[in-house]
This record gives sequence, C-alpha cells and structure tokens, in this order.
Amino acid sequence: MELVGKISKGSKMDQIYIPKNRYGFPIGNYVIITPLTRELESKNKRKPYFYNIQSIEPIKLNIINEIFSILNQKIRGYENIIITGSFLDKGFYFNDIDILIICNEELNLENLKFLIDNQIGIKPHIILINNQSLIQGLLTDPLYHSMLSKCISKKRIIYNIKPKINYKLLDLQLLKSKIVIKNFDILSGNEKYYYIQNLVAIWLFLKSKKITKEEINRKIKELFKVDIDSIKNNLLDKKMFLKKYKEIYNKTFNEIMRNIKNDTK
Amino acid sequence: MTQNRNKLINLFIGNISNAVVHKILEEAIGVEEIKNKYYKEIKTSFDIAKYYRDKINPINQSLPKRDILEIKRRITNNVQNELILRISKGYKNISLNLVEGIVDEFLKKTRVSE
Repeated sequence: MELVGKISKGSKMDQIYIPKNRYGFPIGNYVIITPLTRELESKNKRKPYFYNIQSIEPIKLNIINEIFSILNQKIRGYENIIITGSFLDKGFYFNDIDILIICNEELNLENLKFLIDNQIGIKPHIILINNQSLIQGLLTDPLYHSMLSKCISKKRIIYNIKPKINYKLLDLQLLKSKIVIKNFDILSGNEKYYYIQNLVAIWLFLKSKKITKEEINRKIKELFKVDIDSIKNNLLDKKMFLKKYKEIYNKTFNEIMRNIKNDTK
Repeated sequence: MTQNRNKLINLFIGNISNAVVHKILEEAIGVEEIKNKYYKEIKTSFDIAKYYRDKINPINQSLPKRDILEIKRRITNNVQNELILRISKGYKNISLNLVEGIVDEFLKKTRVSE
C-alpha cells in the first residue's frame, strides 16, 4: 500500500494529511516518508549503456549514476549525457570526469559544475554540444571518434557516420601538436600525452583506421617505442622522442598539405 | 622565478601564435560552415594563451615595453614561418599582410600591450 501526500505548513509542526478511509496505515504505526521525485526516479531508472567498457569499479558506476541523476533533475530536454575520458580507465588516476551533454538549449554550466563538485566531490569537465555539432564533429574530427569510442551514456548512442576528411580542418587540429616540438621541456607529462594523442589520432584518421583510445595508445607505443605511463610521468628521452615526433609530425603535415593542394586544383 | 616567467612566456607565445595562424587561415577559407569550426579552434588556443598570460606578472597591466617588443617579434616570426610553409606547399589565399594587425589585436586582448 502506497499513499501520496503533500506536506502542508502547520503552526508548530508541518504535516502530511492522509484520508481517514483507507486500507492499512493504522493509527500508531511508524512509516517512512520519502520524496516522491526520488521514488519515481528509482522506478524510472534505466541501466546506462556501455561502449567498449570491459569492466568498471562499482564505486565509479555509483558516481556515474549519481551524475546522471543530478543532471536529469536539472536539465530538461537533453538528448543524451555521455561520460568519457580517463575516469573510465582502470584505477583511480583521473583528475576530473569528462561529461558530454548533448542538448540544443543553452545551459548554465557553472551551476551544473558546482552542483556535481559539491555533491560528489570530483571536479567535472562538462562539454555542452548540440546534436548537429556532434554529427559535424564526428564527420570531420578524429578526436570526437576517440571520445565516443569508450564511454558510458544515459541513452543509447546511434551514430553511424562515415568520416569525410576535411584536410583544412585537420591542418588546424594538427597545428596544436606542434607545440610539443618547441616547448618539450616546459610541458607536463599529461600535456605531452594530450598532444601526442592528437597527432596519432590524426595519423590514424588519414589512414582511415579505427580511432579508439586503445588503438591510439597501441599506435603511440608502436611508433615511439615508449609506454603511456612514461609519457604521463614525463620520463621521455628528449632526443630520441623528438626525432621520431618531428618525423611523424612532418609526414602527417605533408600528407595533409598534399591533399589540400589537390583539393584546390 | 625569472625562469618560471620565461617558461610561461614561451607557452603563451606558442599558443597565441597558433590562435593567430588559425585566424588567418579562417580568412583564407571563406566557407561559413568551416569558419565556425575555425572560430572554435581560435578560441581554444586563445583561452590557453590567456590562461598562461594570467600567470605572468604584471598580471593586471601591460608588460614592460622591452617584453612586448620581444614577444611580438617572436609571435610574428612563428606565424610567418607557419604561413610561408603552407604557401610553399600550395595552400592558396593566405594573406601575410594580416599578420601584424592580428598579432597587435591579440596582444591587446590578452593585456600584454595597451
């Protein structure tokens, strides 16, 4: 037996009125009062969708469900919420949680960040994107493929998009990674890893290869003969690494330029 | 401390140079759909540059004249090298005349110069 009541204001104490004619709930019985929204939410709660996740720690899954619940209450009309990035990797070496909100309306991201940080205690990195931009990104940007290759989402992700290479955009994406050559000594391990990932994702994209985080990491190991932890911990042999890095950067750049030249003919 | 300041200036120069290159390539393209994407890239590089600028003293006023001239010289060189490299590989419609104006504009926006 369940009853729904409304809390009303009293002079000394607030109260909830229930009908006199009822089955159950005899006078003197103790009952639990719980918010209706939470009750409805737990009934409507669906399991999230997992993409290329072999296993995940139960505590992380609880955190993800909590984030979905907070965002579900605060955002109306979103298309999907996707958790991605290093939070989904094994262990607890993440700095923040990457949250992709697919929504066509403007949102107060600072407020959402504050809520999540306050309630969960982990800094979120929220990216708001509309469906059109996401599709455009998947068409032309290798990092979007990498981002969605391993993720957990609130709703099912259905994008079957064949990448269309836009060489001028790739040129810009690649330019970001040039910073490693001039600023090798200054960049942190994580910053280096980000720029190497970017370079290798573009390399794979040009060769029409599958772009997943695992594939990018495998290719980094193969090309640079280093493991990912050495990069993240800033333990690279500068001379050897930069020699290879420049070689791959220049090859990728020349391939892009060759195609830009052909496109403008 | 000075060493740290130099590192931050180097990182600032690297990122703001990228933003200027993006801006000039945007002008070279002219296709609206792609221009939007370029705008996003400019903003990303610009925001990173701004992040480093906010750590370089003096934070709330322009840098000393000697620093401004040196930073401007290095950004202009970086940008011209990148653009000339592209022109030599057959990239069309790149205007080198825009470099100085955009460098000045970005230095003002980041409070490096007045």
